[in-house]
Amino acid sequence: MRSQVRPVFLELTRIRLPVAGILSIAHRVSGILLFLSIPLQAALLSLVLSGEEGYRQAHALFQMLPVRLALFLFLWALMHHLLAGIRFLFIDLDLGVRAPRYRQSAWVVLLGAPLVALALLPGLL
Amino acid sequence: MEFRVWRFNPESDSEPRMETHQIEVSRGMMLRDVLLEIKRRDESFAFRHSCGEGVCGSDGVNVNGRNRLACITPVSELKAPVEVRPFPGRPVIRDLVVDMGQFYAQYQAVEPWLKRQEPEPEQEILQSPEERARLDGLWECILCGCCSTSCPSFWWNPDRFLGPQALLSAWRFLADSRDQAEEERLDALDGPYRLFRCHTVMNCVDACPKHLNPTQAIGHIRNLMLKKSV
Repeated sequence: MRSQVRPVFLELTRIRLPVAGILSIAHRVSGILLFLSIPLQAALLSLVLSGEEGYRQAHALFQMLPVRLALFLFLWALMHHLLAGIRFLFIDLDLGVRAPRYRQSAWVVLLGAPLVALALLPGLL
Repeated sequence: MEFRVWRFNPESDSEPRMETHQIEVSRGMMLRDVLLEIKRRDESFAFRHSCGEGVCGSDGVNVNGRNRLACITPVSELKAPVEVRPFPGRPVIRDLVVDMGQFYAQYQAVEPWLKRQEPEPEQEILQSPEERARLDGLWECILCGCCSTSCPSFWWNPDRFLGPQALLSAWRFLADSRDQAEEERLDALDGPYRLFRCHTVMNCVDACPKHLNPTQAIGHIRNLMLKKSV
């Protein structure tokens, strides 16, 4: 009797994701991060608005290293999602959809987002 | 040079395994020659191939994580150890031979032939050079499957999402001045899955050995849909 076993190769760690693919998955990750950050941002806003004491507490919070790292992470997520979204809009308009442009723009977004986030971070502290 | 190939024999194996071969490579050698050498050593080794020059599209495999045609992949371009696996996401029949049935079914679903409303003319239907030029970058597809099997949307929804290959073919007929089934074709592509599961990951463009651009074709279909709906 013929065996019906048919394995499937789909080990994601063994499949090389091109740079545009990495950008795409990062777009999803940053989107999820942004969504998850909404309650945190709301809580922070309500703390700041609760009065002088609350404002001081929020300010103290921002002096802590883990909070600053989290802030950088969310800022990166925002910048990546924004820049990658603009790139997707250009591609939807049939601009930069051919090689090597779509790869170059993916690199620009992947490298640009953390740099922009780093540049904006001091303004938030 | 070290080569590791994916082996699976449905009659004797319950799990796939990687098999290592040391193969002496020579100048100008293609990956297909290496696979043939492995087959000379062990005739039970199975992979598809035919023309040997990137025209038939039979020997698509996953090489060091990338989908490529073995016959036009120079061994000198590859980093050792070279790992050769079957196309991702397709059920494996044996070794590197996968079941492409779903892929062909999606190709068939876009009805890749000219459709006329008017009666068939007595002589051929003429095209201007400009009309003919619109088909360049579309007709060259050899149906090797490198694009669709590198597409995450096709991995997760191979039955509902048409995949880059079928969508490129859909545009090839939508763009053809001789075809008269535009509305019917666009209606068939509507819905959340068939075309719109494309998230512009663009793995397909990276994978295509003929340097075609399914993402651009999908964009053209979307634009046409938009034009027809406003």
